Amino acid sequence: MKDISKSINKVDNDVKMSGQADYVADLEMENMLYAMTKRSPIAKGKIIKIDYPELPENYYIIDHKDIQGKNIVKVIFDDWLVFTDKEVNYIGEPLMLVIGPNKEKIVDIINHIHIVFEEEKPLFEWKDSVLDYHFEKGQGSQIFDAADHVIKKTYTTGYQEQAYIEPQGFLGYPEGNKVTLIGSIQCPYYVKNAVIQALDETQENVRIIQATVGGAFGGKEEYPSLIACQLAVAVKKIKQPIKLIFEREEDMSVTTKRHPSKTHFEAAIKNNQLIGLRAHVGIDAGATIGLSGVVLSRALLAVSGAYTVDHLDVSGDVYRTNTVPNGAFRGFGAPQMFFAVDMFIEHVAKALQEDPLTFRMNLLAKQGDKTSTNGIFRDPILMPEMIEKAIDISHYKEKLNAYKQAGNYKGIGMSLFFHGCGFTGSGEKEIIKAKVRLKKAYDKVYILVAAVDMGQGVKTTFRKLIAYILDIDIEQVVFNNPDTDYVPDSGPTVASRTMMIVGGLLARAANTMKERWTEDCLTVEKAYEQPDYIQYDEKNFVGDAYPAYSWGVNVVEVEVDPVTYQVDLKKSWSVYDVGKAIDERVVLGQADGGLAQGLSYGYLEVMNHQKGKIMQKNMTDYIIPTAMDMCDMETHLFENPYAYGPYGAKGVGELTLIGGAAAVAKAIENAIDKPVYKIPVTPEYIMELMQDDND
Amino acid sequence: MTMINFKLNGIKKTIETDPNRRLLDVIREDFKLTGPKEGCGEGECGACAVLMNGHIVNSCSVPLANVDEQAIVTIEGFSKTPQYEVIKDAFAEAGGVQCGFCTPGMIIATQSLLSHNPHPSDEEIKIGLSGNLCRCTGYNLIIKAIKIAIKKGEGLW
Amino acid sequence: MVKSVIAKTHQQALQALHDRPHAIVAGGTDMLIQNRSHTGMAIGYKKSVLYINLIESLNYIRDDENHIYIGANTRLETILRSNKTPAILKKIIYEMASPAIRYTATLAGNIANASPAGDSLLALYAMDSLVEIQSVKQTRKLLVSDFIQGVRKIDLSSDEMITEIIIPKEQFTCVSFKKVAPRQSDAISKLSFAGLARVKNGIIEDIRIALGAVFITVVRHREIEEKYLGSTIDAIKDQADNILKDFDPYIKPIDDQRSNRHYRKQVALNLIKDFIIQL
Repeated sequence: MKDISKSINKVDNDVKMSGQADYVADLEMENMLYAMTKRSPIAKGKIIKIDYPELPENYYIIDHKDIQGKNIVKVIFDDWLVFTDKEVNYIGEPLMLVIGPNKEKIVDIINHIHIVFEEEKPLFEWKDSVLDYHFEKGQGSQIFDAADHVIKKTYTTGYQEQAYIEPQGFLGYPEGNKVTLIGSIQCPYYVKNAVIQALDETQENVRIIQATVGGAFGGKEEYPSLIACQLAVAVKKIKQPIKLIFEREEDMSVTTKRHPSKTHFEAAIKNNQLIGLRAHVGIDAGATIGLSGVVLSRALLAVSGAYTVDHLDVSGDVYRTNTVPNGAFRGFGAPQMFFAVDMFIEHVAKALQEDPLTFRMNLLAKQGDKTSTNGIFRDPILMPEMIEKAIDISHYKEKLNAYKQAGNYKGIGMSLFFHGCGFTGSGEKEIIKAKVRLKKAYDKVYILVAAVDMGQGVKTTFRKLIAYILDIDIEQVVFNNPDTDYVPDSGPTVASRTMMIVGGLLARAANTMKERWTEDCLTVEKAYEQPDYIQYDEKNFVGDAYPAYSWGVNVVEVEVDPVTYQVDLKKSWSVYDVGKAIDERVVLGQADGGLAQGLSYGYLEVMNHQKGKIMQKNMTDYIIPTAMDMCDMETHLFENPYAYGPYGAKGVGELTLIGGAAAVAKAIENAIDKPVYKIPVTPEYIMELMQDDND
Repeated sequence: MTMINFKLNGIKKTIETDPNRRLLDVIREDFKLTGPKEGCGEGECGACAVLMNGHIVNSCSVPLANVDEQAIVTIEGFSKTPQYEVIKDAFAEAGGVQCGFCTPGMIIATQSLLSHNPHPSDEEIKIGLSGNLCRCTGYNLIIKAIKIAIKKGEGLW
Repeated sequence: MVKSVIAKTHQQALQALHDRPHAIVAGGTDMLIQNRSHTGMAIGYKKSVLYINLIESLNYIRDDENHIYIGANTRLETILRSNKTPAILKKIIYEMASPAIRYTATLAGNIANASPAGDSLLALYAMDSLVEIQSVKQTRKLLVSDFIQGVRKIDLSSDEMITEIIIPKEQFTCVSFKKVAPRQSDAISKLSFAGLARVKNGIIEDIRIALGAVFITVVRHREIEEKYLGSTIDAIKDQADNILKDFDPYIKPIDDQRSNRHYRKQVALNLIKDFIIQL
């Protein structure tokens, strides 16, 4: 039996390379109109009145008054409006669409819509807590009574912008009574359900189709539902095709970003041992809560990092501010927390004058240990072997010692991390209830799921999976871009669930189909069944938050320029346990890309706001790495099959971003011999740290 | 309105239009070639890259006026060449395509690099790609693809 | 109504400028971005546009015994590849922008753009370069450092255009350029440094220092440089801190989305010191 991990050429290479792939901006329809958005120029205020210019024929303004359903975008928390009506809470908040055949005219109309605001004082400090969570493990806060001393540190992380190279957009058009939207999306059914709610429509009259997606990384998880609702309202009223594509500056200024965070840690120390942790995490939701609660949860669940700590006192707050709402981005709270906790444990080790690597290896979570919420790490954890491998290929120990020499600005750093695969807790069972369908029609098999290929290769890996199980040629397996008219809701393409959960269901369906293969035409449907052992009390943070965990080690070597304080990435080495790679080359591609994003989250990407205005709003000012910035990457995969994943596969998509920031921050610390407490570790910050010496 | 004559993918074209339009828009809207993409609109990301007289330019920053009497090749035209066949196989072998949005631009950059420098060093390959942003791959597999193309395409450049 | 002229000859361009003011577009990499509207819309210029990129007679690099002459239409990539180009200018162009931009942008365009962060300007200031300005009425030459008067402010009348850049030939034994940008390519400088020196028999015969993006224009002060001409290498190294003190009042950077004034100032001083120490 061939090894499924053996790589094959991706099925969509040719269409993408030749320029034939249709992304939403490439689509055109007859009688198509364009839509552009009028947005709030202020961070907080009430709308007093709006003066509109005279509209020429075939030009329209669509706003909250045109909404027939609910003026709420369906995201977890019901506080995102489709079109703002009475008061604005962030610069860029969408107020209305202006639609017509000619863009010059649309721009002219937008410039002549005059809005009178009663400006109010915006809030930018983290004061307005809208959600707060707290849980304990073991003795919780009482463990601090037993401590002989306490080490305290605070860590901060900034915005990160997804910066997918393809901006957001949709093309909407009427099909009889139906409103159909084609867009750059991760979650066709999220969009469909949001549009149904905004239009007060039936299932049959809303159709969502995924166009080829030019990168998403979470940025197209919930945000597109907002655009889709706005556009659907317009299409239903005007009854013509309408195209709405964001330009880069608009996209960067107004779409959701990674939540900035601030984590305060306290370590209870007794006899030079870490006996307990207290942590408080604050994240900035921006003007609406949306899914910030889940981001905070995921961060809190990762509070003890790759380590087992028996006693925890964990709390967190989601703060609302008058800034752009923040949302999903690969990692979803975990990158923030793993930076903080992996730095903290290393800082604690140094404060206790212990060798950080030994200290951390002694604390490593082991199979059978309790997780932060008293769940259990049921499956084998290969971290000790993975760390040995990483040390071996990177010469970590020798370099760490060699670079300690003064006057040498080279450094090396290692991060240890995991990612909980799939939705937190009972999300799969209670909320998503995924369904998949496999259809056989003679010698062709059709994969009918809502999973989106946004570059991570699922078009290839799902077809490969089915072909392997059925022992047929991959050419016989068809997987078209999801269209909600034809596919069941297998859930959103998020949370590293696609291969493990949806692929798992498809594998079950394929096995059933295999038994009935002699039938010419047949349809097999499978629905998600939660393994009994996953019991999670979401409210109290107790139990198994995730069915499975993927694990990782990142080592990165840097050199800091003592004259300019700039960081040069020299090389990186990574080891990952993702259960089983359904295609090795696909996983290695994800590993490179995720690490690039994680590293640059740690040292390169700067985004801040001034009085609610995003200061880096284009590709010139928001700095992502070029080919010249990225280092060589060496990656090794360890196999550790998970019983409930197809061929043992666990989650891959987010794991590889989680550890980069801590690894590069530690490498820089090692290079300059100064502790680092915030990311991105910019040259400006390095200069501050290095100049502290001279004071 | 001005008459602009140029070669597009090897074929002589004449268009009468506003010379202040961006080459990217003319290619996409008038000639319906959507291979070159708009990623940033300011010459930073390279998704709009085409070959002008054999070297890479960002079509979002080229006015149509400057294209008069010049030769433009988009990914659609380039994909019919033997050099493309080698590059295409190399990218597939290396795993250098993920979401694909930067890919036509990367391939144009590869052609521009190799046609001027058939045996680039690693540093020179990175410089050749330095104006093309990719968010999915971290670049290493794209660089690997180019090295494979250089090996397998011996004599083509 | 915005009119456009696509000039094919030098004379045609000058005549158009004589007829009415035009926005001059060479490669377009600055002008198209600065004046753009939206996707699918023509660039929103506020006046008529004169396209000069097709004037082949302005695309050259020539030299004679004492000078290098670069035509206004010469692309950065051409300048990079020419063996006539001074080393400092090559070093700078090598790190500028990206291949696509180097194939499109012109040196004259960089000068006319007069950005405080313009890298190529460092070489031109350091080498005492001149621009030749023409109109139908006259030709004049002036130092680039006089031509650029402030942020995007140049000494150019509406009927004039840059036709040539003239760089005096000088030999230097030390040529140093440091671009400090947010990333390693495709980026606007946070600050930049150019240092030139001619050292013979341990004596500093000439030394030139220019800094970019730390003031409204390139910072270069011949009177500071002159103080150290004739020094020995050892003597000038001893004076490194005094040199920094000399430059200090002229380094007045700002805070912006790329960096802050403390960093820019400190690193500018670090770079000057580093240059002196490495002589």
